[in-house]
Amino acid sequence: MSENNEKKIHGTVAEYESVDSLLNACRRIRDAGYKKTDAYTPFPVHGIDKALGIKPTVLPWIVLVCGLTGTVTALVMQIWMNSIDYPYIISGKPYISLPAFIPVAFELTVLFSSFGAFFGMWALNGLPRFSNPMFTDPRFDRVTDDRFFLYVDSTDEKYDETAVREIYEQTGGEHIKNVLDDDSSDKIPKPIFMVWGFVIAASVIPLLIVLKMRVTNSELPRFHVFFDMDFSPAKDAQQGSTLFADGRAMRPDVVGTVARGESGHDMDFMTGVQMDKLAAVDAPRAERLVRLSLGPVGPQDVDGESNVVEEEEQQNGEATEEVNATDTTPWLTENPLGNGEDVLRQGQKQFGIYCSVCHGMNGAGNGLVNRRARKILSPYWVPPSSLHQDSLYTDKYPEGKLFSTISNGIRKMPGYAGQIKAKDRWAIVAYVRALQKSRDADLDSIPESMRKEILEKQEVLKQQLNEQAESAETAEQQTEKTE
Amino acid sequence: MSEHATPQIKPADDPAFQLPASLGAISIPLSLAGLVMMVVGWLIANSIHARFGMSVYLTAFVYCFSIAVGCLFFVMLQHLCRAGWSVVVRRIAETVMLMVIPLGVLFLPIIGSLLFGEGVLYRWDDPNHAVENHLPLMAWAEKLRWLDSSWFTVRAIIYFGIWSLLALFYYRGSIRQDATGDKSITDKLQYWSGPAIMMFCGATSFAAFDWVMSLAPMWFSTMFGVYIFAGSILSAHCIISVAVYSLQKAGAIREEVTIEHYHDLGKFMFGFVFFWTYIAFSQFLLIWYGNIPEETHWFYERGLGHDHLTDWGTIGLILILFHWILPFAGLMSRHVRRNPKLVFAWAIYLLVVHFVDIYWIIMPESAAAGAGHATVEGIKGISASILCVIGMFLFMIGMALRIAKKNAVIAVHDPRLQESIAFENM
Repeated sequence: MSENNEKKIHGTVAEYESVDSLLNACRRIRDAGYKKTDAYTPFPVHGIDKALGIKPTVLPWIVLVCGLTGTVTALVMQIWMNSIDYPYIISGKPYISLPAFIPVAFELTVLFSSFGAFFGMWALNGLPRFSNPMFTDPRFDRVTDDRFFLYVDSTDEKYDETAVREIYEQTGGEHIKNVLDDDSSDKIPKPIFMVWGFVIAASVIPLLIVLKMRVTNSELPRFHVFFDMDFSPAKDAQQGSTLFADGRAMRPDVVGTVARGESGHDMDFMTGVQMDKLAAVDAPRAERLVRLSLGPVGPQDVDGESNVVEEEEQQNGEATEEVNATDTTPWLTENPLGNGEDVLRQGQKQFGIYCSVCHGMNGAGNGLVNRRARKILSPYWVPPSSLHQDSLYTDKYPEGKLFSTISNGIRKMPGYAGQIKAKDRWAIVAYVRALQKSRDADLDSIPESMRKEILEKQEVLKQQLNEQAESAETAEQQTEKTE
Repeated sequence: MSEHATPQIKPADDPAFQLPASLGAISIPLSLAGLVMMVVGWLIANSIHARFGMSVYLTAFVYCFSIAVGCLFFVMLQHLCRAGWSVVVRRIAETVMLMVIPLGVLFLPIIGSLLFGEGVLYRWDDPNHAVENHLPLMAWAEKLRWLDSSWFTVRAIIYFGIWSLLALFYYRGSIRQDATGDKSITDKLQYWSGPAIMMFCGATSFAAFDWVMSLAPMWFSTMFGVYIFAGSILSAHCIISVAVYSLQKAGAIREEVTIEHYHDLGKFMFGFVFFWTYIAFSQFLLIWYGNIPEETHWFYERGLGHDHLTDWGTIGLILILFHWILPFAGLMSRHVRRNPKLVFAWAIYLLVVHFVDIYWIIMPESAAAGAGHATVEGIKGISASILCVIGMFLFMIGMALRIAKKNAVIAVHDPRLQESIAFENM
């Protein structure tokens, strides 16, 4: 030992022949008050923690915290992704749909827990540690075979070499030694670098192949790893299919389908007709209207029945327009939604979305589509009606009729029942009435609070017109002069 | 093993290995009292409605049955994985699993309901069921090929045949080893444990389909058998814990069963609490996501998808809170699992919530069937059901004690007995 005096002493170790002598020594060392101790055995020995006085590990708490972190991470991540950052409805479930989030929450809980357990164990054991001074003694190799070792670290507060050695000797320890610094080379062997280099080089190969593929051309057809994912057998919109009798892949709604938010309206609301009165006057027509409102015609109605409905639809449109005087339909004469500000705002919005493209924002019939059609001199274009004709005013064209026209269409105009909700159609009716009124409103029909503003605007406008007129006049005079 | 000297196995006729007299004495009174309670509960339930009465009886039956087959599985599992730790508690499970034989007798009223009443319990037995409920007749005709009362009876006989065979095989082997100490018996039991478990799983899964799932004849869930099994194996560990604790209180096997065994039983209880949740949720998730009416109606009748909280929905919430969250949190700590008193308390608790689970599975069908009693949770109905199940449970306990009296309460000559006694978790 004297020749090793210059080396740092890490601690003192002793070798034991049996579990019992080791445990006995452990207890003695524990009772002597040493804390930084360790025992090395070829197999797990029950009760050695107690014998060495090792406190229960805090690892379970680390695992618990990690597990809960996993649960919370998964839930927050999914709620954020699916409900806040990019709200997306999947399978008709709500944005925040707990059952759908639970599998991921469960998996992340397990994943984080295992990470916590694995890396927590490393951290608590001070791993990774590539070398241990214990390995300097060749006798220590027998710890994997048939020998038991007990070690006291020199950094222990109570560490005293002679006292430790005494306990070792009394408990039958053999080959008592100080554990010295490992004096083997701390350089990393060259072959390891070579292996690393090879692995790094090899890992670049797939990347290089991908890069090469991206910049070169090939005449070979693409290789489909997942053929049915590249070419899904699912049909797209408007595609044909041999699966159904009508040859269409898109299926019509089942008869009686009620769109979301469309339930709870009565028949008058859905048709614009006073159904009770109509039933008294023209029962078959009322029946047809009810059937029509039940939704698109199902396949079982294809023969005959549906034609009746289509005729009805056309009659509704053309006949009423042509023979206005003979229209005996008991239309609703009042908008069931009234004309509150909310209704008008909603009507304005919907009018702007659906109607203004043809009828124009002011309803004069000169929307973008109309202008474009005129510009290209489209031979098939039927100009949209101006909504400011006398014949479309409320006395000649009741609210219910306007609603019905929006719903079912007229002449070239298609019906919008499938696109605009009934409530919004009524709102459009209200807004159209407001548009019509706006053409010949007098000051009295404007709320008092807004009159001043209107008058001011009127003044400004008048002034501008006057100025323009004056400047035009002077310009004229000037040209005259020069002439 | 290391902290103390190597344990000495007591001789086979040591009093610590016999059922304490205090427990043996109550076996007959317990059986009789239980039988009376069961019949009274059933009669009260029957006075509400015949289907309600039969449903209450079926609830009690499935509850007891699930515990018995859970113990049967436990025993076979220990042989399959050649477990050492469990030898000291295995005899308890071996005794409880024998209860599948008296349960076979208690199944007779259920078969009787098919023979003497049309659709009294199982609606598929009512010839007008399909027409009255506007079911698709072609599908119904296919269903009836399986749901046929005589074929149902034959299947029940097969199931009970398999369980009785397995239970007797494992029990007799273990008892014979008690007498002879022949170690080759263990080899034989282990050798057959694989096929035995396969037979067991088939029988139990199909029994769950037949007896419980077919209450809603148009509904199907392929993992329903596993769902019933999850509650079953959980309650088996609970009944073992309760029995061990009671035996030790009464003076038997005090040195053989240690904290380490409670720790393991607690671990399994903890694990199977989550297994039950995992299975119950998996079953729910698939149906919830698919959202097909023919599957969802089972959950709808149990309170899901309503605007308001229905009575069955409340019980469903109770299951989530008290069959999962509370025991999961409560059994998580090793300090709880290493405390025999707490393990015992949690075992009792889980046996109670297991009944709530079975009640929630079975009873809504008695209401949904149009029995004219939508609120079966009425105090009278619930008390009748509880009376009936406690009665049947006590009857089973009494029978088990009678059997336990005849033999040692521990497998005295098991080759792994010493290993088990010396078992340590860490």
